[in-house]
Amino acid sequence: MSAVISAKGLTKRFGKTTAVDNISFDIPAGRIVGLIGPNGSGKTTALKAILGLTPFEGTLSVLGLDPRTQRDELMQQVCFIADVAILPRWLSVGNAVDFVTGVHPKFDRAKAERYLASTKLKPSLKVKEMSKGMVVQLHLALVMAIDAKLLVLDEPTLGLDILYRKQFYQHLLEEYFDENKTIVVTTHQVEEIEHILSDLMFIRDGKIVLSSTMDDVGIRFVEVMVSVEKAEAARALKPIDERQVFGKSVMLFDGVPRETLAALGEARTPGIADIFVATMKGTYA
Amino acid sequence: MSKDWNNNAPIYRQLKDRIVAMLLDGLLKPGDPLPSVRQIAADFQLNPITVSRAYQELADATLVEKRRGIGMYVTDGAREKLIVSERERFLQEEWPQMVERIRRLGMNTTELLSAANIGGAQ
Repeated sequence: MSAVISAKGLTKRFGKTTAVDNISFDIPAGRIVGLIGPNGSGKTTALKAILGLTPFEGTLSVLGLDPRTQRDELMQQVCFIADVAILPRWLSVGNAVDFVTGVHPKFDRAKAERYLASTKLKPSLKVKEMSKGMVVQLHLALVMAIDAKLLVLDEPTLGLDILYRKQFYQHLLEEYFDENKTIVVTTHQVEEIEHILSDLMFIRDGKIVLSSTMDDVGIRFVEVMVSVEKAEAARALKPIDERQVFGKSVMLFDGVPRETLAALGEARTPGIADIFVATMKGTYA
Repeated sequence: MSKDWNNNAPIYRQLKDRIVAMLLDGLLKPGDPLPSVRQIAADFQLNPITVSRAYQELADATLVEKRRGIGMYVTDGAREKLIVSERERFLQEEWPQMVERIRRLGMNTTELLSAANIGGAQ
């Protein structure tokens, strides 16, 4: 099967501002892709284009469909949890399940009810009586019971406590994800999802500045703690970032062989957060 | 098992090492099933591919075997096989570093043996 999402020259302008600037990428099935970027970098706009929620320039194919003209067909196979996950305040859990049963042909009501039974979400509970974490749980119950090929998550755990955040990804991996499904997720809590991801995309000022599998990220990026006498030799290899710790320089390298760097000091694989900070330097300057 | 990972080795290798430790300690015995890939992925918040890769390496070393349709099981003699390979690895990789350090600190066997006995070793 071809790519689940294929974008070529995807561009979105708001007046004079270019929110998404000529980006191209392919996402195959069975991947969990993290789309990571600072506030205002174009993440949500790109996701909206994928979901057919906004017009755009360029070509975009999602599950072989054009989100601009085939949105109805697309919505049968795609689910979305937005950062502003708003449900009507008067809606009860039971109402929500009835509604989705009525409108979505692929909704597995029994599965949703099974999942809800494991939570504190009683059928009579109304959205206005729920905590933020409970609203996300309800969303997740509805979404996971739809056998959608693509799941798009825009800051799904924003504002949730650590228990709800952990539970969210745990349920997603346990109940929903398999090799035929694809998840695209944006989040600022990169440390929490870095081992879940199979692919990583960094977006900055509407452009993709890094697109790589997590395996390649582990090979490409190396952090080395360099002592003073070797600092000059290390700088000659052009680190993308340097900071001082205990009188030593911690340098981050992109694409320099690990063996070369091991001679300069202790080499380790940096976390996504370290790479992110180095890549986004000067964003708000 | 602690859920923390370090940055010095790929996660799949760290996961494999944890299972190896459980085999050595007898927490996993021949015939015991390993949890499903999905279960481990969910519990440890890992990509399923990472878990599959760790399982594959254990299978390649014939420490576990796949039973079609039901999952992975610890093989007979897994612990014995591991003890042979881990002893070899200890002598090749860890022991030379320890010997080097003992030399640098100028310690003798009597001192070391009595310290080991205090520490509870036989």
